[in-house]
Amino acid sequence: MWTGVLGILLSASAFARPVSYTGGWTLIQTANRASTAGLLHYSVSHKVSVGVRHEWQRDDDVTLTVIQPTWLAKRWYGHNYQANVYLTGGLGTATDRSVAGLGSDTASFVGVMTDWETRTLFVSYEARFLEQGKLGNHSMHAARVGWAPYTGDTGELHTWLMLEVDHRKHFDNKTTVTPLLRFFKGPALFEAGYNITDSAPMFNFTYRF
Amino acid sequence: MKKILLVLTVTLTSLPVLADDNQKIMDHHDPHEMNHGDMNRGEMNHDEMDHGEMNHGPEHNHGSHEHPTENAKEDVMTMSVPAITTTDDISAALANGGAPVVVDVLGVVCDFCAVAMNKIFGKREEVSALYVDLDKKTLSLVVNKGASLSDQDIENLAKRAGYRIAAIRRDAEALGG
Repeated sequence: MWTGVLGILLSASAFARPVSYTGGWTLIQTANRASTAGLLHYSVSHKVSVGVRHEWQRDDDVTLTVIQPTWLAKRWYGHNYQANVYLTGGLGTATDRSVAGLGSDTASFVGVMTDWETRTLFVSYEARFLEQGKLGNHSMHAARVGWAPYTGDTGELHTWLMLEVDHRKHFDNKTTVTPLLRFFKGPALFEAGYNITDSAPMFNFTYRF
Repeated sequence: MKKILLVLTVTLTSLPVLADDNQKIMDHHDPHEMNHGDMNRGEMNHDEMDHGEMNHGPEHNHGSHEHPTENAKEDVMTMSVPAITTTDDISAALANGGAPVVVDVLGVVCDFCAVAMNKIFGKREEVSALYVDLDKKTLSLVVNKGASLSDQDIENLAKRAGYRIAAIRRDAEALGG
């Protein structure tokens, strides 16, 4: 049980900006229908972060521990919007924790994340391609739209209504839908949702230090 | 996968909502005819700026180049620019003789943006108070009496935070005068 709780608390998503200000630390955790994971990263510049990611793929009972660099490839600056393209990757080890006992293998992934955001509208897309040798390969695509019913000023509570669609071809339900709420205040971001296709909760948390 | 990344990159760079804004920036001015008053233009990247609501100063010569949508631009040019946002800290810093600065920031849409600029600018000894106003999309600064923070410094600090600046106003102009 505690493993599950820990997993829920330590999961990582890309929908929170994966590169921070120069010298900033960020903790990102996510839990969704597929995995729970945590990413702690340090931004060496406003364009590059390097972090450590630990992920538990619950379906296969495989854990993944990698070094994850992320590069802000492009940012568009508008008076009322911001848009980003991030490229990311990871290299480390995947370990089978199931009764099958397949052991460990080298794991690597590449990914892309994009978003466009105003104070009331949000659109994003991310994809990840993971190779784990004998422990199998996975791909994931996820897209989001979001709307803020009001515009909170600095330091106030910001609330978003969001809808996420994800596609994971190694799952029985390949394409699923998750409505969620995002709460944003100062350096903290929290998301809670429920995957209505796969009957699974989603919890995400991000904190900027 | 390479194909996916390539298609994604091409698609993003050609999105109308992004392309329109960048086009507007490029169309607006010949950089050699610009006069931004006191602004330090040394290394500012005008290709990434949204000039839509910039204050071009009294010396800006609108007769020397074409404005395709002159009426619309006049509306923008005559609208007032945001003054400094006063908080308790900023009021106290101004009362102590600090110099007010207002920076129009591009891409400020969320509290993470405010956190980033607070962290970066807040570390500077020259800065006695600051506030990121998401509504006005401005960074309000008070520079300590006797200290200086050049436009280039401000631009560099904003870049370290991950953002770009569109304009800088100081002293009476920053106070809305």
